[in-house]
Order: sequence, then structure tokens, then C-alpha cells
Amino acid sequence: MERYWNEEIECMSREDMKKLQDERLVAQVKHVYENVKYYRDLMDEKGVKPEDIKGTDDLHKLPFLSKADLREAYPYGLLAKPLSDCVRIQSTSGTTGKRVVAFYTQNDVDMWEDCVARAITAAGGTDEDVCHVAYGYGLFTGGAGLHGGSHKVGCLTLPMSSGNTERQITFMRDLGSTILCCTPSYAAYIGETVHEMGLTPDDLKLKAGIFGAEPWTEEMRRSIEKSLGIKAYDIYGLTEISGPGVAFECSEQSGMHINEDNFIAEIINPDTGEVLPEGEVGELVFTSITKEAFPLIRYRTRDLCVLSRKKCSCGRTLVKMAKPMGRSDDMMIIRGVNVFPSQIETVLIEQGYSPNYLIEVDRKNNTDTLDISVEMNPDQFSDKVKDMQDQEKALAVAIKTMLGINPKVHLVSPKSITRSEGKAVRVIDKRKLIDNPAK
Amino acid sequence: MSNVRQISVFLDNRPNQLKGVMAILKNGGINIRALSVADTKDFGILRMIVNDTEKAVDVLKDASYAVAVTEILAISIPDAPGQLSRVLDILGSENVNIEYLYAFTGASDKAVSFVIRVDDNENAANALTRGGIIQLTENDIAEM
Repeated sequence: MERYWNEEIECMSREDMKKLQDERLVAQVKHVYENVKYYRDLMDEKGVKPEDIKGTDDLHKLPFLSKADLREAYPYGLLAKPLSDCVRIQSTSGTTGKRVVAFYTQNDVDMWEDCVARAITAAGGTDEDVCHVAYGYGLFTGGAGLHGGSHKVGCLTLPMSSGNTERQITFMRDLGSTILCCTPSYAAYIGETVHEMGLTPDDLKLKAGIFGAEPWTEEMRRSIEKSLGIKAYDIYGLTEISGPGVAFECSEQSGMHINEDNFIAEIINPDTGEVLPEGEVGELVFTSITKEAFPLIRYRTRDLCVLSRKKCSCGRTLVKMAKPMGRSDDMMIIRGVNVFPSQIETVLIEQGYSPNYLIEVDRKNNTDTLDISVEMNPDQFSDKVKDMQDQEKALAVAIKTMLGINPKVHLVSPKSITRSEGKAVRVIDKRKLIDNPAK
Repeated sequence: MSNVRQISVFLDNRPNQLKGVMAILKNGGINIRALSVADTKDFGILRMIVNDTEKAVDVLKDASYAVAVTEILAISIPDAPGQLSRVLDILGSENVNIEYLYAFTGASDKAVSFVIRVDDNENAANALTRGGIIQLTENDIAEM
């Protein structure tokens, strides 16, 4: 029996949801136009007045907002409420450049935590659960978001933060953690450590995991589910929009329901900005229609994905977004071919390797080079050089089949690639260092 | 026939890798009897025969090294011209394909020992026995 945190909203008819979004959008556009000079300038430049926006059908008339705008407006340029009304600041992890800071009123925090509560409930969480939060605490929204949502649901909350993995596992055992929340790469590492400590999933009470903040593949999901004996749920979010919980997975595990009462999602052609019909792959764009302090209108996430309104077996009517194929800034163009780290990860796991790898892209003699270091599989280690070289070649062929370009595969020792306790660093693009010597 | 167990360890192509393995063996009180390193552009494979195979495998696996144990042949031949050639003639006449071999010193300065890695140990061992080549047991090597 599927359980909901807010059944009225999560299972609302499409018509009623649209009506709710229409009302909220109109009010939000008026709010930002009146209170934020940056928006007023952008809209005036485009010749759009708040009166032109009568509902979601007019959304396309509004200008986009990009990460560059957020950097330009740093720190207070997009603030829509007096600082005295704000109660919290969070910040992006800064993995792709300068940090972005976001402001929250108490209502914003409540809304965010409510979204996370829906995600925890969809993963089977109730006030009987022990929710083990191993996302980093601090400016990063992972720890704060899951922590707040867990409180809301009434779970017994373990604010572990990330790191000290053996202690994490000891606490899990001693205190009977049932739901683990962290990045998928950290979940994989915890799974590995559980087995290294001579334990099995039977020694733990974990039943579910809520993993997000970085792209991960279906193969990685299955591998984590197996190593920890849990059902693994994806959660999506970004600091700019609120944090984790913008969208969440249900028992069907086939895409994430977007909390549409708070966030309107669009898919656009990233080159032209044109809105694409449902089912087409494009860049995900969000408009936050309930945020007070830091409301973003048509914010380009750079995540590439697809939306679907197909009926979901869980009963929720909220639109579903597919797992992003990658953030468009994770995408590498190598010898003219678009390459996502997630594609390489898929091949590695299919071929029986660990999801610990490092991609190095460089340019030598005007040709892009792609080098992939992969931890060898100890079960396949042989004393014969040729056997090992054959494994490298077989993996290179499988990756070539997936990407269309030839990589160089380098097997390295087990456990020699640094494990991540937060967001994993998987790609080193040396070309950027050369192209932008100033950075 | 008594085959000898060889330990192989995967080494990254970076400084201090061999040193790391040696430190672990030292702490485990392991003595190395024979050793060779095969190197490629990406990695190395350290091969060795030690006085306590089980313990060496345990301490290396505990330190997360990729370790394999393979049965190899070990022989002892006189330290004189033409002796290795004679061994290779014997193996060649039986169509034995050698993957690799390496020499190590034994207890006597009149003899030299070799590790020989082939695909078919039994066939090779029988050929060596018929040819009068002395084969060493793991015990022989441990006591050297």
C-alpha cells in the first residue's frame, strides 16, 4: 500500500494542479518584478510585464535565468525579501566553479522540508524509522535537507554527516538505522566497507536508501542495493531551487516525481531555448512558485533529461523526470563526440568492475585523448601480463562500443582511487587548464 | 610431482609501489626466496616465492592488494654453460610453451635455480623428470 506525505497534492488531478500553478505563478512573477531589480531589468529588456503572465501557458514569455546570472547577482542581487525575513543561507558545492548562495525564509525552509518529507515517505519512511543522514552537513543542502525532512516525518534522526565510515557502520548496527541518506558514491563506499568489516546486510537493519546530489546509473543502483540489502531511491534537487526534494522517486523506481505545487518544470532545447514537448530530451528548467526569499524564474539547470506524465503505479499524479543523463557541464566533447561519465560508469559495472574510476581528458598533437583508470577486479588478477592486457583491451572495446571513440584503459590497484565521502571527482579535463590559463 | 606456489601481486606504475609490498612482508616476517617483476606501460606484476605462502597472501590481501597464487615449476641445474639450453631442449621437444621464467640463487654456489611458468605443469614436469632435471619442492625452497 503506497503511502503519501501529502496525498491531496501528490495525487491531485492535472486540472487542479494547473490551476494551483497558474495562481502561484502569477503571484510569484508580481513578487519578483516588484522586489528584485535584477528581474525587473531582465523582464523590461524582454518587454514582458507581470500583467502579461496570466498562468503557466504564458511561462515561455519570461526570460531565462542562468548560473551566470546567479554569479553576477552574487550575493544579494536576487534576494526578494529583506534579510531580516531570512533565516538561513545554503550554498552550492562549488564543483563547477564559483559558489552560489541561496537565502531562505522560515516558510521556504518549511516548504523544502515538506518536499523532503514526501521523498522519505515515498521511500517507506515513517515515524518508526531511524534515518541515518550521511550527507555532508554545513552549507551543502544535502545534510540540512534530509535532516529537516526526517524531523518532519518524525523519524529518529541520526545527523552523522559524511566521513569516518567505520563509525557510520558501527552506529548503523548499534542504533538500528533503517534509512540511509547520502550520495550514491558514498553509499557504494559504505557498502564496500561493510563487507570489508566482515559484516553482511543481515547485520544491519537498513531497508531503504535515499541517494542524490550526483548522477548515478541504474547499474550502480543495483550494485548498492545488493551490497547493502536495501531498496535505493533517487532524490533530485539543487541549491538554487531549494535543495534535495525538488523531485523524488517512488516505489516504481522509474523516474522522479517533481513537486509541481512548488516547482514548474519545462524541458527546452539548450541551443535555441525553445520549449520542447513532453517526451523529448532537453535541458530541465525550473520556476519556483512558492519560494519567498530566493525565487528563481525559468532557471536553467543544465541537467539534460526527459519529462513524462504517464500514469504511475504509485498513484501520484506529479510529473516525472527521468534520471538526468548528466549535467550539461559534466558532458565532455571528445574528438567531437558527446561523452558523459555516466556512460562509462555503465560499461564498467556491466563488465564487473567497481564504479571507482578516473577519467582524464587531454589534448596531444591536436587530438583529444581519453584515458580511463579503472580499479582492477581482484578476482580476475592473473600472474600473466597478457591476461591483464587482454582485460584492458576488452574493457576498451566495450567502452568504444558505447561511446564511439577509442579510450585508453589503465587498470590500477584495488582501492587505489580516492573514495569520495561527498560528491565524487570523476573527471580531470586537462584541456581546460590549457585553454583558460587564467583560471 | 610437487608444484611450487608462487605469489603474484599487482603493482601500479607509480613510485614506491614495490616498497609498499616489501614493507608489508617485512612486518609479516616473510622471507622472499625468489622474485621477479614484469613491467608494462600501465602496471607491473611482482612474482615471488616466499617461505610462508599463506601468511604472505593474508597480509597482502588485508592491505587490499590484488594477489594471485599460481603453481609453477622450480628446478635446480648445475651452474655451467649449456645447462639452461638443455632444459629448454627437453621442454621444446614436448611442445611445452613457456610463459615466463626467472632465475634465483639457491643454497649452493655450484647450482642455479629457475622458476618456470608453463600452462601444462604435469606434462612439463614429466618431461623434466625423464630428462633428469632436478625439481624443487616448496619445502626445498623454504629450507634454502
